[in-house]
Amino acid sequence: MATVTEPPAGATIVPAPRRARVRSGRRVYWLYLIPGAVLFLGVIVVPFFMNLYYSMTRWAGIGDPKWIGFDNYTRLFTDETFWLSFRNSVAMIVAMVIVPTLIGLLLAAVLFDYLGKRFDGRVASVLRATYYLPQILPVAVAGILWGWVLNPQTGALNVILRSLGLESWALNWLGDTSTALPTVMLVMIWVQVGYPVVIFMAALQRVDPELYEAAELDGAGWFRRFRAITLPQIKPETFVVALTCTIAALKVFGPIYVLTKGGPENSTNVPSYFAYQNFFPKSQVGYGAAIAMVLTVIVVIVSIVFIRVQAASERREGI
Amino acid sequence: MGTRKHGRLVAGLLVVPLVLAACSGGTDKGATDGGATAGATQGGTLKLWHYEGADSAMGIAWAEAIKVFEEETGATVEFEQKAFEQIQQTAGMVLSSDEGPDIMEYNKGNATAGLLSSQGLLTDLTDVAQERGWTDMLPESIQTTARYENGVMGSGPWYGVPNYGEFVTVYYNKDMFAEYGIEVPTTLAEMEAAMDTFVAAGIVPLGMAGAEYPAGQLFYELALSKADRDFVSAYQTYTDTVDFQADPLKYGAETFDAWVKAGYVAQDSASIKAEDMGVAFINGTTPMIVSGSWWYGRFVSEISGFDWGIFNFPGNTLNAGSSGNIWVVPENSANKELAYEFIDITMRPEIQALLGNNGGLPLAANPADVTDPKSQELITAFNEVLDNDGLAFYPDWPVPGYYDVLVAAFQSLINQSKTPQEVLTEIGTAYDDGVANMG
Repeated sequence: MATVTEPPAGATIVPAPRRARVRSGRRVYWLYLIPGAVLFLGVIVVPFFMNLYYSMTRWAGIGDPKWIGFDNYTRLFTDETFWLSFRNSVAMIVAMVIVPTLIGLLLAAVLFDYLGKRFDGRVASVLRATYYLPQILPVAVAGILWGWVLNPQTGALNVILRSLGLESWALNWLGDTSTALPTVMLVMIWVQVGYPVVIFMAALQRVDPELYEAAELDGAGWFRRFRAITLPQIKPETFVVALTCTIAALKVFGPIYVLTKGGPENSTNVPSYFAYQNFFPKSQVGYGAAIAMVLTVIVVIVSIVFIRVQAASERREGI
Repeated sequence: MGTRKHGRLVAGLLVVPLVLAACSGGTDKGATDGGATAGATQGGTLKLWHYEGADSAMGIAWAEAIKVFEEETGATVEFEQKAFEQIQQTAGMVLSSDEGPDIMEYNKGNATAGLLSSQGLLTDLTDVAQERGWTDMLPESIQTTARYENGVMGSGPWYGVPNYGEFVTVYYNKDMFAEYGIEVPTTLAEMEAAMDTFVAAGIVPLGMAGAEYPAGQLFYELALSKADRDFVSAYQTYTDTVDFQADPLKYGAETFDAWVKAGYVAQDSASIKAEDMGVAFINGTTPMIVSGSWWYGRFVSEISGFDWGIFNFPGNTLNAGSSGNIWVVPENSANKELAYEFIDITMRPEIQALLGNNGGLPLAANPADVTDPKSQELITAFNEVLDNDGLAFYPDWPVPGYYDVLVAAFQSLINQSKTPQEVLTEIGTAYDDGVANMG
């Protein structure tokens, strides 16, 4: 390990053979791309086109798929559950992107700017680790734990509420169509919030402290500094967090599977789970593939839009 | 010292992958190689997959069957423990490949064994079943799940052999019944009266789990109280059209709804899972649950604080239930004869008795061999159903994916967010779509 930090002796004095190496290197570069290209082909391109093909067939998963053209897609547009699942995706974006990013920004700024300076640096580190814990916890474990906590009859939450005499507050959290989605959203915020905190805290370390000092001397209060320095300075990280979390929110499957299985009455169904339901338990592979296809297209479009917007904003600021 | 230590370390590191490679080769390839040599001299290798827990009735009985099989044939059993979901979701793909087992436990029903048989992935066992006498050993309603015609169960060639049975019954807490002076009900009216007594005492009488199968099964039990065998055939094997807006299904949904309104079933049970329902019964807080014989062994071993028992759903001659999962022999099996021999061993009275004495429901046991009193209680109740030709299978069987439809539908009755008519329309449409889809 120690050798890594020391630059190799003579690393800077190799001008003579460089040109030759570059020329032959061009060809060598392609060699390095082969493993990645093979994986890309095998894991992304081939399954993508297979899925596209299946989405145009009626197939039970075994036997021969029957070509039906765009029938699965036309069926999708009249399927209420499909639209419901995408409406729930919007709720997931709120719960996994917007709220965690806002809370994350605030927490990171407080931890870095306030707690980090007033207290020992360890306090901020411990808190940061605490917020990140739900991200490390396997989703199956977290889901089962939350299932216990939220059980309407024996769960910790309702038992505590009842013992405080708040019987009317002890709701059927995951069992009632009106509370199930908001409850799942709260769990998702809990799961998600640590991720932006960690990224933003790392980003804040990059920001030149002199900016803050200068602003402080000029009499800028904490909130003013937060708005004028913190936010613009960590914009690139905010984009990354928003993009990765949006993709995660659109694809969310595990928490839904463990917490509600899309229920009650489909009220928490999301596109990935809906695709899975059709693909496996219902053996309607073609239809499941069509849902997955639509989801993929949406994820790709969202990613492109994000990257475009980010590039445009960077150009504006001349970064 | 230092260099020697390093040397040893390096040697160790070099050896580790070799050992690992040898190990992985040993478990996989080694066993088959060993099997191949053994095959030449003795009986070959039988690749067997099942998904029953090692200490369940089936797990115990089949482990013994493997031992007997190995002793008698000299063949080696290469057993792989699978998970239910694993087989449920990948069976089609595995059996189309060369990687599949020689014999496998598989889920009975149209959407599973039926589907695979219609694709030619399972071996036709009709002749073997007759030769070996399985056709005589198994009761008629049990054979329904063994035979599939174009993927639809009930008639046609044999594609699977059931080894055990299961059925839905009523578990009750005898201590709670005694405390409130309630007798075991014999009619639905008595059952409702018993539940009224509990409700008056502030106790929810019937455990429920709206997030999983129990709600659908209670609905089906209620519907079956007004049904006959023709209805079951129509509903399960499409011999006739099923009217969801008429009895018995109408009665089932309306009574379910009435039971929720009367407080027999907890209104906050829509998100409860079957496990929680079972645990509530084990803890002695629920007087009754309507559920399957699969709980029985667990209740025997885990309930200690109170006395409990079972009674069949009052007044019903038809009950949800069927054969257990079935042995199937994949078409690609390399050792079909050995597979038949193994199935035959699992049907022997001593293996069946072992199954019965461990909380399972044997199909071909000698009643005198089942000595455990608690097991006898269960087997007696099951035989009562069998004697009436009373197995009506499960409500989610007819079409693939119907399970989710029923769960969602009865969640809305538990939550009182839909009327019984709306629920019947919902499950009726999904049923018709599903049947049409199967072509």
